[in-house]
Amino acid sequence: MAVDTQDRPTATASESSTTARQESRFQRYRVRTGMFAWLMHRLTGVGLVVYLIIHIWGLTSLTDPETFNALIAKYHSPIFKVGEFALLVAVAYHAMNGLRIVLIDFLGWSPKQKRLFVTLGAVTAIIILVGGWPSIYSLGEWIFGPGSMPSLFL
Amino acid sequence: MNLNVEIKRYNPEEDEEPHWESYEVPADPLDSALSLLLHVKWHEDGTLSFRKSCAHGICGSDAMQINGENKLACSVLVQDIADGEGDTVTFAPLPSAPVIKDLVIDQSRFFEKYRDVKPWLITDGPAPEREREQSPEEHAMIEEASKCIMCGACTHACPSTWADPDYLGPAAMLKAYRYTFDTRDDGAEERLDVVDSPDGLWKCYTIFNCNEACPKDIDITRWLSALKRRAATSQASTNA
Repeated sequence: MAVDTQDRPTATASESSTTARQESRFQRYRVRTGMFAWLMHRLTGVGLVVYLIIHIWGLTSLTDPETFNALIAKYHSPIFKVGEFALLVAVAYHAMNGLRIVLIDFLGWSPKQKRLFVTLGAVTAIIILVGGWPSIYSLGEWIFGPGSMPSLFL
Repeated sequence: MNLNVEIKRYNPEEDEEPHWESYEVPADPLDSALSLLLHVKWHEDGTLSFRKSCAHGICGSDAMQINGENKLACSVLVQDIADGEGDTVTFAPLPSAPVIKDLVIDQSRFFEKYRDVKPWLITDGPAPEREREQSPEEHAMIEEASKCIMCGACTHACPSTWADPDYLGPAAMLKAYRYTFDTRDDGAEERLDVVDSPDGLWKCYTIFNCNEACPKDIDITRWLSALKRRAATSQASTNA
């Protein structure tokens, strides 16, 4: 079937020059559940891409055993424990909110979007606490001294 | 009680940039937000410009950003936007729309997008002698989507619209849903070609600002999701 799509005037220079600030892609707007979920999804998404680039760059040292061992030794420092924990937070959130979006788009669960956010948020918190416990533990040991942390599952 | 009303003013003949101005306005909790603007225009500053027609939530003229989110000024009460004496209420034009003056935006781009989705009945074959029938169940599918009054609150609340002024936006695509899922309509294919595009459905990231902004409480995201599923499955069947 032939498609007759009307040409739409795009944002012209004169329009954007009269009220340039008004037409910015950044707007001050009240953040409610849905936009908060999306903003966090974007932030964690971009963060994970940056992590992936660093991670793959780290793998290039695999050709030489000595540099690889030196790199791995660096990963045992406390700053990487923080990074490890942040990575888990980003992955857990991005995965769970991704599931939320799938349920909304594929099953039409739009009316339940806020309850979904709270429920999956609780699941995310559990994943982060259980999965992140080793990082929290070793960080605590480093800050408060050896033996100061309860050895729950470790 | 008295409220501090802040309005984002812009006069293209005098101002380089929009600026905020404050007015002290007496108000009753059961007044509409629109009545605050009317008070300013009638008693404080007659040069204030904004759109309003019916003032009863039917014409959709007075959509604007009130206290940081898009609302229909006539359909929101003072008690819902202010807590008490001296509280501040802000009014700004719909975000990311070209401003003509003060709170009046240029709606032409918004209505071009509306026309793009062919918001009319498309049928094959000759018209029947009597009306085109539709069962209550068939109508129920499009009833909520038919309540749209084209005020533009949703489209200008959408971060995808802010980032891409050519994005069709929730209002136009809700209209596409309303006709695509109308059992009397045969134009689904034509309309899907328009919405199943880089400036269409796939820039909806389920942010839900449209739902929050809609003065008619339409679950826009729900219907756009249904349209996404229709677009995805019809594409799959043509490719097969």
